[in-house]
Amino acid sequence: MTQVLKARAGKITEEMEAVALYEQVDVEFVRNGVAEGRIVIPRNINRKSFRYCGIGEGMRVKVNALIGTSSNRDDMAMEARKLQAAQDAGCDTFMDLSTGSGIDAMRKQTLDMANVAVGCTTIYQAGQEAIEKYGSVVEMRTKDILDTIEKQAAEGMDFMAIHSAFNNSVLKVMQKTGRVTWVVSRGGAFITGWMLHNKKENPLFEHYDRILEILKAYDVTLSLGDAIRPGATADSLDGAQMQGLLVQGDLAKRAQDTGVQVMVEGPGHVPLNHVEATMKLQKRLCNNAPYFILGTLATDVAPGYDNITGAIGGAFAGASGADFLCYLTPAEHLGLPLEEDVRTGVISTRMAAQIADVARGHKQAIAREKEMAQARVTMDIDRQIKAALAPDKLIAAKEKGCGQHLCAACGKDCAVQEAARYFGIR
Amino acid sequence: MSFLEDVQKGIITEQIEAAATAEGVAAAVIRQGMADGTIVVPCNPAHKGLKLMAIGKGLRTKVSASIGLDSKDSTVAYELEKLQTALAAGTHAIMDLSITGDMDGARRAILSASPVPVGTLPLYQTIAEASRKYGSTLKMTPEQMLEVIERQAADGVDFMALHCATTFETIERAKNEGRIDPLVSYGGAHIIGWMVHHKKENPLYENYDRILDIAKKYSVTLSLADGMRPGCLADSLDGAQVQELIILGELVDRARKAGVQIMIKGPGHMPLNHIRDTMTLQKSLCKGAPYFVFGPLLTDLAVGYDHINAAIGGAISSWHGAQFLCYVTPAEHIGNPDVAQVHQGVIAARIAAQTGDLAKGMPEAIRWELDMSNARRDLKWTEQIRLAIDPEHAEYIRKTRNDGEISTCAMCGKFCAMKIIAEHMHFDKHSC
Repeated sequence: MTQVLKARAGKITEEMEAVALYEQVDVEFVRNGVAEGRIVIPRNINRKSFRYCGIGEGMRVKVNALIGTSSNRDDMAMEARKLQAAQDAGCDTFMDLSTGSGIDAMRKQTLDMANVAVGCTTIYQAGQEAIEKYGSVVEMRTKDILDTIEKQAAEGMDFMAIHSAFNNSVLKVMQKTGRVTWVVSRGGAFITGWMLHNKKENPLFEHYDRILEILKAYDVTLSLGDAIRPGATADSLDGAQMQGLLVQGDLAKRAQDTGVQVMVEGPGHVPLNHVEATMKLQKRLCNNAPYFILGTLATDVAPGYDNITGAIGGAFAGASGADFLCYLTPAEHLGLPLEEDVRTGVISTRMAAQIADVARGHKQAIAREKEMAQARVTMDIDRQIKAALAPDKLIAAKEKGCGQHLCAACGKDCAVQEAARYFGIR
Repeated sequence: MSFLEDVQKGIITEQIEAAATAEGVAAAVIRQGMADGTIVVPCNPAHKGLKLMAIGKGLRTKVSASIGLDSKDSTVAYELEKLQTALAAGTHAIMDLSITGDMDGARRAILSASPVPVGTLPLYQTIAEASRKYGSTLKMTPEQMLEVIERQAADGVDFMALHCATTFETIERAKNEGRIDPLVSYGGAHIIGWMVHHKKENPLYENYDRILDIAKKYSVTLSLADGMRPGCLADSLDGAQVQELIILGELVDRARKAGVQIMIKGPGHMPLNHIRDTMTLQKSLCKGAPYFVFGPLLTDLAVGYDHINAAIGGAISSWHGAQFLCYVTPAEHIGNPDVAQVHQGVIAARIAAQTGDLAKGMPEAIRWELDMSNARRDLKWTEQIRLAIDPEHAEYIRKTRNDGEISTCAMCGKFCAMKIIAEHMHFDKHSC
C-alpha cells in the first residue's frame, strides 16, 4: 500500500511521524495533507530510511539540488563530491540528472551516499540509451522507456520527473502561438523531437496508466515534468505553458485517484509580476498538488549570477505558494557547476526558502529571525553563528577579530553608548 | 533662483535636457516629474564633470554604491579604486560614507574622479571631528553640524543624507514599544545619544530651515534618512518607523516649498510581505517623493550572503515603487567591503533594478530580456556574453565551467534542447 492509500485509510506512517516532528505540526495534519494530495513525502519502498521531507501545504519550503554526469564531464568521483557539498549545504532533496555513460552506476552511487530523498528525470536515461543503441533520441522505443522507468523505480528512486504532460494539444498550441525560446527543458526537447519526428502522441502520455502502476508498486512520488516551462521571461504565461498546465492538472488528478503521490513541476523564467498568477493557477488547476519550481528566474540577463535571479524569483514564488524550489547555480546557462557552485546554489535557494517561510508566517522561521536580531543587538557573535543560515563567512570574520566593539570614531564618551543606555540595551 | 524653482516655473534647463537624454525620455517628462516632486536630478554645479541622471517615477531604477574611509587602515587611493570598480560595474551614483581619516581629502578626490552623482552623510564627518576635537561625540554642536553640511555642499556634493526626522516623538515611541534594535543607524544612534544627553530636540530638525537654505544655495538634493529604519525583520513597520515617516512627509513639503529637491531614504530589514505596504505608505506619506532604499534585506540570517538577500528585496521593492537602490555587499554585518565585494554588490543591485523594471513593464527592460533570449535560442554565444549584466564574469564562468573545448555548452552537452528543437521544428540549423 502506498503512503497515500495508508493516509486515506487513516494510518500514520513512520515518514509522516518524522515530517510532523520536523515541521512541528500535528501528525494528523500531515496525514490529512498526504491523503488529500496537498502534501507529498517522497520515499521509495526499496530505500533504507533517511531524512524524510514533507513538501506542500503547511510545510516549510524545501530546496532541491541537482547533480549528475554529462557527455562533456563524465566524472563520477566529482559528482560524489558535489552530492556531499549539496547535503552539507543543507539541501532537502536532490536529483541525479546524469546523462553520461554509466547512468546505472551513477544512480547506485547516488542512492548509496544520499541521506535525503533522491529524484531523477526518467527520459534522460531513456534518451541517452536510445542514442547509444539506435543512434538518435527520436528512435526511443516505448518499451525501453517503460523498462527504464521500472528499473529506476525498482532501484529506489524516491521521486521521478516524467514528462507525460507534453501532448499533442500542447504542441499544437505552441506551434500556433510561437515562442521566443520554444522548448528549453532537455527532457521536453527529447519528447518534442520524438513526437515531431514520429508524428505520434507522446508515449509518456499514452502509457500514463502503466507508468502510474509502476510508480504505485514502489511508492515513487511522481513529479509531473514541465516540458513547456518558459525559457524566457517573454514566454511566461503564454498559451503553450497554460495548455501544459491544464494537462498537468488532468494527470495530477489521475495520479491522486490511483493512489500515487504527485507533485507538479513548473517555471522557469518568469517576470515578478507573473509569479502570483502562476502559483494560483497551478494550485487551482492541479487540485492543490505541491508545486515544484525551477527558480523562478526573475530576469534573463544575468548569466553568471543565476543563483541570484533564482533566489529573487524563488523567494517571491515561495511566498506566493510554491512549495519546493529547485536551485540554480552561477553556472546556469553557461556550463556545468563545480562543487563551490553547488554550495552557492543551495545556500542562495535556502535563503529564498527562509524568506518565503517568514512571509508565509511560519512560526519557527520567524523565531529564528528574532533570535538573530537579538544576537546582533547584544553583539553576541557565537549566538549569531548559531542562528545564521550559512555561518562560514561569519566564522572566518570572527577568526580575524571582527566582533569586538570597534568603532573608528568614538572616544570614551560615546553618543551611541548614551543612546543604548536610554533604550536600556547593552 | 534654484534649479527646482526654474523647473517649477516651467523652464526646461540644460540639466533637464541632459538627464532626459541619458534616460531616453522627453525632457518634458523629467521637468514635470521634478515639478511634481516625483523625480530628482541630483546635480551640484560645483561637481565638475558630472553626467546628469534622474531618479524617480516612470524612470529606470538606479543603484548607488557606498564607499569611504572606514577604518584606520583605509586609504584614499583604495577608496578611489573602489570607486572605479563600482563605476565599471555600472553604478549610477556613489556615496562617500567616510567616518575617519582625511575625510575632506577623500571627498574631494572622489568628487573629482566621479562622473556620477556623489552623496554623503555629513553627520559622519561631524561625529569624527567632534571626537577628534573634543574627545567626545557628545560634544558636537549644532553649529558644527551645519558647518560640515555647508563645507561638503561647497565642495560639490550632489545629495546628502540627513537624519532630520529622528525626533523625540520618534525615539520615545521606539523606547515605549520596546523596539529590538533602536541603534541600527550609525548616524541616527549618535544623534539620539546627543539628544538624550543634552535633553534637546534633534538639531537637524530644529535647524531644518537653515539646512534648506544651504541646500538651495548650493543646489544640493536632500536625501532624508531614517534613524529608525528597521534593523531586523521584527522591527519592520513598527510605530517608530511609521512615526518617523510621518515627520519625513512634513519635511518633504517644506523642502518643496523652499525650492529644494528631496528624496527619502528607507529600509532596512523587512519581511517580504511588508514590502508592498512599506512602499505604499512611503508614497502616500511622502507625497510621491522618490524612495531610496537600503536593500531591503528579507531575512536576518543571511550573513555573508546579504548582497543576494538585498537583491531579492530590492527587486520586489523596485517593482512596488522604490526608484533608487542602495547596494549591500557580501561584507554587510561582517566588516567593510573590499574591491571584489564592491563589484558583487553593484551587480546584485543592478540585477534587482532590472528585475523590478521588467516587472513594471518598462520597454527598455523588456527589450534587453528579449535580446538575450533570442541570442540564447540562436546559440549566439558572443552575443549572450555581450548582453550579460556582467560580461566579464559570464565569460569567466563559461571558461571555467566547461571542460576542454567550449564551442558548445557543457550544461546539456550533446543533448542541447535548442538544437533538438531547431532540427525537428525545421528552423535554420543553429550551431554553437
